[in-house]
Amino acid sequence: MSRKSKRADKAAETLDRITPAFRPVQVEKTAPCQVGCANCGDIRGWIGLVAQRHKTGSSRDQAMAQAWQLIAEVNPFPATLGRICPHPCESDCNRAELDEPLAINAMERFLGDFGIRVELPLPRLRSEESEEWIGVVGAGPSGLSFAYQMARRGYRVTVYDAREKAGGMLRYGVPDYRLPQQVLDAEIQKIVDLGVELRLNTRVGTDISLEELRSRHASLYLGIGAQMGRGLPVPGGDGPSVWTGSDYLARINQGEAVETGARVIVVGGGNSAIDAARCARRGGADVTILYRRSRDEMPAIAHEIEDAIEEGVELILLAAPVSVEREGDGRMTGVQVQRMRLGQPDSSGRRRPEPLAGSEFRLPADTVIAAISQVPVLDGLESLDHDGDWLVADSHGAIDKDTLVGGDAVSPGIAGEAIIQGRHAAESLHARLRGLDPDKASDPVSPPIEPEDILLASKKGCEAVHESRLQGEQRVAAGMGEVAKTITEQQFLAEVERCFSCGSCYGCEQCYMYCTSGCFTKIEEPTPGMYFSLNLDQCKECGKCVEVCPCGFLEISQPSA
Amino acid sequence: MHSTQKSVADSFSDFVESEEKDFTLRDGSRIAVVGGGPAGSFFSYFLLKMAQAIDLELEVDIFEPRSFGYCGPAGCNHCGGIVSESLVQTLAAEGIVLPRSVVQRGVESYVVHMDVGDVTIESPVHERRIAALYRGNGPREGGDSELESFDGYLQNLVTGLGARVVPELITGVEHRDDRPYLKYGDGKGGQYDLVAMAAGVNSNIINMLNELPGDYLPPKTTRGYICEFRSTKEEILRILGRAVHVFLLDIPRFEFAAIIPKGQFVTVVMVGEDLDQELVHAFLNDPVVRRTFPTNATPCVCSCSPLINLGARKRPYGDRVVMVGDSGITRLYKDGIGAAFRTGKAAATSAIFHGVSAGDFEKHFWPTCRNIVNDNRVGKVMFATNAIMKNSRLTRKAMLRMAQKEQEKENARPHMSTLLWNMFTGSAPYVEMFRGTLRPGFIYNLLLSVGAALVPGRKKTAQPRKKAA
Ligand SMILES: Cc1cc2nc3c(=O)[nH]c(=O)nc-3n(C[C@H](O)[C@H](O)[C@H](O)COP(=O)(O)OP(=O)(O)OC[C@H]3O[C@@H](n4cnc5c(N)ncnc54)[C@H](O)[C@@H]3O)c2cc1C
Ligand SMILES: Cc1cc2nc3c(=O)[nH]c(=O)nc-3n(C[C@H](O)[C@H](O)[C@H](O)COP(=O)(O)OP(=O)(O)OC[C@H]3O[C@@H](n4cnc5c(N)ncnc54)[C@H](O)[C@@H]3O)c2cc1C
Repeated sequence: MSRKSKRADKAAETLDRITPAFRPVQVEKTAPCQVGCANCGDIRGWIGLVAQRHKTGSSRDQAMAQAWQLIAEVNPFPATLGRICPHPCESDCNRAELDEPLAINAMERFLGDFGIRVELPLPRLRSEESEEWIGVVGAGPSGLSFAYQMARRGYRVTVYDAREKAGGMLRYGVPDYRLPQQVLDAEIQKIVDLGVELRLNTRVGTDISLEELRSRHASLYLGIGAQMGRGLPVPGGDGPSVWTGSDYLARINQGEAVETGARVIVVGGGNSAIDAARCARRGGADVTILYRRSRDEMPAIAHEIEDAIEEGVELILLAAPVSVEREGDGRMTGVQVQRMRLGQPDSSGRRRPEPLAGSEFRLPADTVIAAISQVPVLDGLESLDHDGDWLVADSHGAIDKDTLVGGDAVSPGIAGEAIIQGRHAAESLHARLRGLDPDKASDPVSPPIEPEDILLASKKGCEAVHESRLQGEQRVAAGMGEVAKTITEQQFLAEVERCFSCGSCYGCEQCYMYCTSGCFTKIEEPTPGMYFSLNLDQCKECGKCVEVCPCGFLEISQPSA
Repeated sequence: MHSTQKSVADSFSDFVESEEKDFTLRDGSRIAVVGGGPAGSFFSYFLLKMAQAIDLELEVDIFEPRSFGYCGPAGCNHCGGIVSESLVQTLAAEGIVLPRSVVQRGVESYVVHMDVGDVTIESPVHERRIAALYRGNGPREGGDSELESFDGYLQNLVTGLGARVVPELITGVEHRDDRPYLKYGDGKGGQYDLVAMAAGVNSNIINMLNELPGDYLPPKTTRGYICEFRSTKEEILRILGRAVHVFLLDIPRFEFAAIIPKGQFVTVVMVGEDLDQELVHAFLNDPVVRRTFPTNATPCVCSCSPLINLGARKRPYGDRVVMVGDSGITRLYKDGIGAAFRTGKAAATSAIFHGVSAGDFEKHFWPTCRNIVNDNRVGKVMFATNAIMKNSRLTRKAMLRMAQKEQEKENARPHMSTLLWNMFTGSAPYVEMFRGTLRPGFIYNLLLSVGAALVPGRKKTAQPRKKAA
């Protein structure tokens, strides 16, 4: 319920009193950005540390370091996610009611780069060491997030990964033009610096058995992701020059040249498809994406699709390959494609594509990249509870008594979610090992503050900052060079000021200035959210402080029934 | 900085500085106006108009965090909203023509209510009619109010002249390098060549000015109470007519109250040293008030307890600072907007044509203030007398009788009526009114009425007269 409707209720309740009593109470509320995503941490909080530095007496660098640390509480990968996250946090930003949402993602990236540049260490939570030795399978974002959260709580942690390098799909999936490997390296190094041990080139289930791991470690976390790309299930789909998206991208990301010929067809509508198409484009090929549904159903991040098209990738929607054509020697010549239409919604809620009879056409092709879907590899791990290809976990991320699981291995998603699941699993394991309350989640639970509770009338419009980006052709020409630049410090400092600080006091001083009864007293060493103490002895119950409060922190106190 | 032995270099730079000390505004001078209420807007209006006239380009920043488009206390500078017709005319002559959407004209009578009876007092002289307005955009939950914000209207007027309205609160004032320095709500700040304090008395900023030159002390204040009731236009017209209703009642601690019809709303204003919820309640439940109140009114859609200026204690200016409107000197208990106009204009005149030093303000701004201060002294005596008279049933009866008599007779000299009228509107200085009470006719009639009041007679209740639109 908004403050306004509460107020109306209040007036109705007090009909008999003639003048309703509007007594203020300070209530910190959840900001919509925090509900959008639990992985940028206390977004309002870290923005506030910088935006309010003049009031709290922090220097610019101090404030930025504090802000970085606040993000790092929940997410050790701000520079990484600042580059690749589709930022659901921005979509509910109350600022959109006035002009544009805050550029949270761009700010996160700036802070991430800052944290790398000035070599900030990840913040520890406990100084004592714990006896338990924790094992992690998979050095993707999910496994590393878990490892970080355990290590900072004083546990000894070892992470096993089958690959040569840590990072999971962030390294072997996401290409360098979106996420340079040095950025990922730098953020992983911070986790290693905390004492986390990495054992690479070690595939659990084959190189070392799950049982051995169980006997070695007090608990295990499985963040094995979904490593295996599905092949193309059509005639001619298993011959040469057909790649899975994951194999193709893994090669590219290891710096290997992949000979594709001049005409590449990518099949699929997810991030792998888009990234594969853009990489092939950078290799000089003409690239066409075939997707069997319409654009709205494409699971890839919307602006990535946009980018691919700008870079000259052709998108053919409602189309699927039915066979791969080859010469006698097996050399690929083209692909037979069938048009589709959307029928009734399937179990996923998306409309099922149905072939349109007689709509087949041929596209010449030298290479086909099938980026249809990826599934976990469970070789040697079959004993774990799984449903089809996917591992199954309870709400705390537990798969059995001593094993937790999270990330893409449970259900494919975005990196931010994998990181959240790693953290939640660590929080619940730590609670169990230390006998703490397991349900004490660190994420907000109350509903977010509504836009009506923000005093928009007093705000002036101001556009959001935008990262400077290369144009389509320039991007292709730049090859694996990064397509977008991190915002400048100046831009960052301007952007933080756009935050409304929804539901948390930012020391605007209006209550203090306009309360003529002296109910508000300045706190000597203020921090974001804490600027004034409230004493209602002299309150005249006029409610003006609540009315002028621009961020919805003050509300009318409800009589305790 | 306070070393006893100054180096030669220091003394030299002091010398150069004093030579350079120049208290006139020039092209590009920066002026900050703290508060965009009527005083801030009037000051800016005249400053920019006069600057234009002499081809002077100034940068005027008006700091006002409030949005006057907002309904309720957040967008309102809380007052009864009564202005005299003569002020409306004066403003028009200065080029500030208030449209119908901002002032509700045609309040043509006062009804004075006492337990001993009511009396309607018609506007004694034609120009002395009154008008009603809303300072903000109407009451809380009153998006449908017929009146637009008066303060908002003035603000638009001055932005049209080139003033910049900065929606920031000023949180502190310092003196740095011989110039006032303002701290903004966002933690930043800025330096100015002149600061006009127009923050009223309902803001703690006026208690934070001790760093400024001059010996400013914030005005003494007392508390008022304002609340708005919603009813229907028809019902309000039926019960209240086109009149402002004032009350002189014998409720303990009660001093003064008025009820003002404004379209579908009714504004209740109370003033007194000792005002609290209990007194408000007692007043609103008094039988005299009940019978003057629309029956179907929705209780209190909006209320506030603003402070009222009871007079500044020190001179409201210093080098490069000047206090206008309520932050400085204003009329006692009435015509605050008129006083904001007069002090705003006087301060602007001094700044543009004379200078912005304490001495300049002393010479060219203070006389306007002094007139108000002197008049307030007389006003105080009159309010005290009025309080004594209204606290005795006998004198209340006498006042009622005298006014009633005057209103009945077409050609009677309206002494008591004029007095009561003027006490409650802004048109005449207190001095003028006081002189009126010294006239033999007034005293004679008053004595007669006192005499008559001693004799029990028929009780007379005058109903407010309804006028056609
Ligand atoms: C091409 C592509 C682009 C993407 N783009 C984005 C994007 O822009 N934004 C976004 O938010 N998300 C994106 N994603 C999704 C994101 O990368 C994943 O959601 C995330 O990496 C999942 O993390 P994870 O830790 O669960 O798994 P992974 O990142 O897959 O990591 C799993 C790790 O476990 C290791 N492993 C697996 N099995 C074993 C075993 N048996 N023994 C030892 N080690 C093992 C693997 O080698 C791997 O390192 C993209 C994904 C792909 C494929
Ligand atoms: C109960 C009551 C009834 C009244 N009735 C009448 C009446 O009927 N007729 C009449 O003429 N007068 C009346 N008055 C007097 C009238 O309200 C004032 O004289 C008038 O408002 C003074 O105008 P001002 O511009 O000086 O101050 P204000 O109107 O108080 O305006 C001050 C402005 O400064 C702003 N401000 C304050 N602090 C800061 C800061 N730190 N930074 C930036 N901005 C700030 C405020 O937001 C405000 O907009 C009444 C007063 C009261 C209390």
